[in-house]
Amino acid sequence: MARFWCAVLILACLELSTRVGTAPICSYGQAGCHTPSLADIFDRVIQQSSRMHGISSDLHSEFEQYFFPSKNLIGKPKCHTHGIVTPADKENAQRLGREQLTEVILRLLGAWGDPLLQLYRSMSQDQNQDFNHYSSNKALEISDMVHELRDGVAKMAEKMKLSGVLGNTVGYISPEGLVPSSSFSFYKHGELNSMDHHDLLYCFRRDSNKIKNYLQILKCTTLPGLDC
Amino acid sequence: MKKVLEVILLLLLLVVTHAKGTRYSPPGKPALTRCRSPEKETFTCWWEPGSDGGLPTTYALYYRKESSDTVFECPDYRTAGENSCFFNKNDTSIWVNYNITVVATNALGRTFSDPVDIDVVYIVKPNPPEQVAVTVMEDKGWPFIRVSWEPPHKADTRSGWITLIYEIRVKLEEENDWEMHLAGQQKMFNIFSLRSGGKYLVQVRCKPDHGYWSEWSPSSYVKVPDYFHREKSVWILITVFCAFIFLILTWLLHMNSRSLKHFLLPPVPGPKIKGFDKQLLKNGKSEEVFSALVATDFPPKSSNYEDLLVEYLEVYIPEEQELMLEKSMDLDVGCLKCEGSASDSDSGRGSCDSHTLLMHKCDGVKEEEERQAKEAHGPGYWECGLSNKQPHLLHPQAQAQRQLQARSDDNISSIGRKQTPAGLHSPARRSTEYVEVERVNEEDMVLLQPVSGRCGDVEGYPEMPYGEDYSKVKGVDMDNMLLLQREVREETENCDTSSTVTTTQKPAACIHSAMPVEGEMVLGVNGYVDTATVCTPPTY
Repeated sequence: MARFWCAVLILACLELSTRVGTAPICSYGQAGCHTPSLADIFDRVIQQSSRMHGISSDLHSEFEQYFFPSKNLIGKPKCHTHGIVTPADKENAQRLGREQLTEVILRLLGAWGDPLLQLYRSMSQDQNQDFNHYSSNKALEISDMVHELRDGVAKMAEKMKLSGVLGNTVGYISPEGLVPSSSFSFYKHGELNSMDHHDLLYCFRRDSNKIKNYLQILKCTTLPGLDC
Repeated sequence: MKKVLEVILLLLLLVVTHAKGTRYSPPGKPALTRCRSPEKETFTCWWEPGSDGGLPTTYALYYRKESSDTVFECPDYRTAGENSCFFNKNDTSIWVNYNITVVATNALGRTFSDPVDIDVVYIVKPNPPEQVAVTVMEDKGWPFIRVSWEPPHKADTRSGWITLIYEIRVKLEEENDWEMHLAGQQKMFNIFSLRSGGKYLVQVRCKPDHGYWSEWSPSSYVKVPDYFHREKSVWILITVFCAFIFLILTWLLHMNSRSLKHFLLPPVPGPKIKGFDKQLLKNGKSEEVFSALVATDFPPKSSNYEDLLVEYLEVYIPEEQELMLEKSMDLDVGCLKCEGSASDSDSGRGSCDSHTLLMHKCDGVKEEEERQAKEAHGPGYWECGLSNKQPHLLHPQAQAQRQLQARSDDNISSIGRKQTPAGLHSPARRSTEYVEVERVNEEDMVLLQPVSGRCGDVEGYPEMPYGEDYSKVKGVDMDNMLLLQREVREETENCDTSSTVTTTQKPAACIHSAMPVEGEMVLGVNGYVDTATVCTPPTY
């Protein structure tokens, strides 16, 4: 009995002594918090967006190979984010300025949260085809990534505002206000078929590339350094 | 009428074309081979013309942008060369789908190519990196190569519009295999582990995140200086060390060569045959070898019974002597004489010479004798045991006085010998007599004869002198000398028993000598002293 209590005491002591000290990352800049630098945030965000684009690109090419082996049979779809005005070349992008660029990024990210979730649900429900069965995980992954990235970019914008790099004109934009419901009405109700899956993947692949590129431009205009 | 004329004209045209031997046709279908953008701001498309149909053919490229039905023609057919279309910055939109078609037109018609959809973002192939600089640097005495470069000047990495990753490859000038290194986004790279004095080629290429690899930059040459002297000193050290160890091992091996040899190749025990001379065999004369074997002491001329392989006969005592027998039963009756001659181990002893075996035999013989003693009859023939434990019956004729010799040296006693009923000698007479095997007859019976003299004579005095062969040990005196009793016999060698000894037959005194007298001594083959010639002092 004495041994048992000894063991318990020892274990308790060990647990107390080996407790790892954690320092939460504070996004509000409280005193005593270990906050990452803007450069770190930029790096993380860009890495995340790059990874997201990679996965969506893989998913799209797999989809095309599986369902539509012969190329160019399908017409290029109209994406529901066409309403968001995005710069289509370098000069336009540079002309926009940081604030608008950040806003565009946030809009894009906001517009894709729900559709991707819808896509995942639709793919996982459709058990008939092996492609959906194996690839629905990727859809879930990019769906999660979009949400994380949106939060990350928001934090980054806050940080930039704090450091004076960004003006205060950037606000939180709700997705419903951005996306006209007419062009993508079906995602709220009804089921998606393979064509819809393909369209969604095609559109998201392009939009994720835009997001990544805009973030890189933002970084290099804000923090010119070795990588730029 | 008009119709007829038209038909005739068409026919004429056809005939004319056939007659000329050429065929005109609408142009073949052109095909768009590829479209590339070097910096994601402009792009170029190339096509492959089909057959021209024998007529001069013109090509035109038309494109349509996504979400617009307006068809545009290629703005620039020249800048990029033959069969190409160049889109400048104003005409290029990123993340916009272009639907491009090429049309071939000649006098007979036009042919459309298959439409191609492209998005400029995915067709980026940059120019190779520029200003590749390769230098040799040193790190703690060991050289390495530092490669540095610049991105292609057209690609705008500075604003973040395009992000490039780089790859380097290196090889020695005389070899064929390249060593690849992925450098990521950095513009500088170090290469280690170089061969001293080698000449290296270095090339760099780049690629956007999702696009095509550029071509390799032109080779840059670099020569690594000789740092051989450093390598050399290391090799010298290693060589000296190895030589040292080798010497030590050799010395050790030499020291222990014999034991090693014994360990690896254990010596085979050779045969030890008496009289076998290896040298003679090596000389190669087999006759000599065999004669050497035969020569010396076989069959023994002197009655040196130790060398005989034949067992002594074990003699059966008739029942008159039973009492005697019983007394002397414990004296290893009937045992064979088995002197432990101090010869070498493999002198060819018979089994009879083994002491333990002797005991067994003695026991066996004892039993036999007991049995036989009980059932002995008058004639009292002897039963003798030969070496194979087969008792044979003595031929009654060949019976003479037989005498048993006890094994014990102390009690050399004669136990009852067979005699004619006329005379019965005292059994306590201390003399020994031996019988000799004369021959074995047909019925597997051994014919015995006394050794000393009465050849074939059955009766007679029991004591026959064996004086020339043996002497009885009387005792050992203080100086560890054997005191022998010399026996004087008058009638000795009248027999034809061979004797190589001549003994002086002095009736009484003997020469006391602790050492053998020369001339009177016969050394046996084994170097024994013939004790017959050594006399005892006249102590009695």
